[in-house]
Amino acid sequence: MAAPVVEAIGLRKTYHLGKVPVEALRGVNLKVEKGDFLAILGPSGSGKSTLLNIIGALDKPTDGKMFIEGVDIFTLNDNQLANLRHRIGFVFQFFNLIPRFTARENLELSMSIAGMSKVERRKRTEDLLGTVGLKDRMRHKPTELSGGEQQRVAIARALANNPSFLLMDEPTGNIDSKTAAEIIGLIKRLNEEKGVTIIMVTHDQRLVSETKRTVHMLDGLFVEENVN
Amino acid sequence: MKALDIFSYSISSIKLRKLRAGLTTLGVVIGIAAIVALLSLSQGFQGSIAAQVQKGFATNTVIVSTQGGSPQATGSDLKLFVNDTQTIDQIGNVTMSVAVIQKSVYLKVGNKTLAVSIVGVDFDKYAEIYSSTFAAESGSIPSSPQNETVVIGKRVNDPWENGTLFSNVNDQAEIIWSTRSGFALKNESYTGVVAAVLKEVGGFSLGGTADSTVYIPLLQAQSFFGSDECNAIIVQLESDSEATIESFTEAIKEAFGDQVSVMSSTAVLDTVSSLFSTIEIFLTGIAGISLLVAGIGIMNIMIVSLMERTREIGILKALGMRGRTVLLIFLGEAIIIGLMGAAIGIASGWGLANVFSMVGFSALGQGLTKGQGLTITPTLTPTVFFGAFAFGLLVSVVFALYPAWRASKLKPVEALRYE
Repeated sequence: MAAPVVEAIGLRKTYHLGKVPVEALRGVNLKVEKGDFLAILGPSGSGKSTLLNIIGALDKPTDGKMFIEGVDIFTLNDNQLANLRHRIGFVFQFFNLIPRFTARENLELSMSIAGMSKVERRKRTEDLLGTVGLKDRMRHKPTELSGGEQQRVAIARALANNPSFLLMDEPTGNIDSKTAAEIIGLIKRLNEEKGVTIIMVTHDQRLVSETKRTVHMLDGLFVEENVN
Repeated sequence: MKALDIFSYSISSIKLRKLRAGLTTLGVVIGIAAIVALLSLSQGFQGSIAAQVQKGFATNTVIVSTQGGSPQATGSDLKLFVNDTQTIDQIGNVTMSVAVIQKSVYLKVGNKTLAVSIVGVDFDKYAEIYSSTFAAESGSIPSSPQNETVVIGKRVNDPWENGTLFSNVNDQAEIIWSTRSGFALKNESYTGVVAAVLKEVGGFSLGGTADSTVYIPLLQAQSFFGSDECNAIIVQLESDSEATIESFTEAIKEAFGDQVSVMSSTAVLDTVSSLFSTIEIFLTGIAGISLLVAGIGIMNIMIVSLMERTREIGILKALGMRGRTVLLIFLGEAIIIGLMGAAIGIASGWGLANVFSMVGFSALGQGLTKGQGLTITPTLTPTVFFGAFAFGLLVSVVFALYPAWRASKLKPVEALRYE
């Protein structure tokens, strides 16, 4: 049996706002298997984003263990962490595309960071933009794309390096509801048809209802877990 | 991330802010251009002086005089006389010595008068030492000249360089020497015949043949000026090696004491080049300051750029870019700016030097340089070329290091949160 894609054991994270310590995570345990589709819910300040950053290897926990594909991220140096991030597909609420690059260039950039060859980049970019239905828009810059289109480019970019899982932070949080429905459909299809493991933070009930599993967070702890 | 991908990312960042990158580059351009222009002019100047020194001054000849070679450095009571050549000829390694009597006189041809320098010298020996310059363009230099024989330099023949001749071969030329007797000026004169016009020499005359000089036989000079005192003795040595010149100098000191000096072309060139290297250090320093300012400009712009691109750097790091790669992207931008600045700077500095040598110096130095045929051709030596390139690049990179390092150390979570 392969190691879980993500496994967190007793995660703690303490920030210092001035002299006041803030406990963002107070012992979180989480296991995500391949093909899972998980939504993390909770009010703002409950520690969702902190958890997401740690799962995304952008931040290290203060205490506890964090395994990604069986590797303890505590044992990794900065370069190894960077390499690990090639295997994680981030989708942000505010898309975070690089404004000066076209849709195609944004994808290719992500692939070039992972060291993919130019020929492979070309082909893969077109395939992925086809998957999210934006093949005809690939020469457009983010400012020339609608919010929904930008988010689809961002999802394609997250898939660029064939990641072991997608990490989404409010993927529909910044687009209108009609477009959000398209995005939700796309995300669902990725999970069902392509078997992409997805971990997301969201408030969008329509998106939550499509997931396989939800966890509720409050004050840095998981308080409720449901399997849909 | 592959080097080429890093490079093209740097390019795309520069393209995004063309005006800003252009202005930053301009700073480097000005600094490099100033260095290149100043140094290539200075080296060209030095080169043409060296060439002129060598032209009018065979390297195996030295000049013995009581004046240290410069008219200001008097202060010696000792006088050299024509027959001192006999003493000098006794010194080892000496092949020949020629006494030179030099005065300022007026030359009158027809009804025109010209102030010239007159030199009394043994024509045969002088012609042997300065065979390339003491040569007739028209007429001929007689080997056992009559007392009345006069040989004139090109600038006495054609003083205004426009074909209006002052005197020519076979002209009767009256040589007028003004002496003071008490308060009264007394003119002495005799009439000579121009036997030859010398070829144009150009440049300085450090003891050698000069264009604006009239030459008469030594004996005639002795009797006309009524003195055996000579201004200098030109000595030809067996070789131009430093040891030969040095041992000769020692021997002269022994014979005449410390009151005479020996000037060699090597010594003159040494003085010239050490003078110029001092000037060059000074000029490079000044130009270096402008490059320093350019470097601070690069740093300033990079820090602003770092602020603006914090979020972008966060995205790149979230996509798995290494800190080192971020550093290289920023350094890459600085290298591109440095390379462009250096290339444009060298080209425009070179152009500036040429324009300046044509316009500036000919206007500035009409009397000083043109009359003596000294032109400055700017010289861009490989040292200056590559030095300027390396310097431009170095300044750009050094000043980009700090912002690049800061960019590479940004924490992804904080960078992503940055608005």
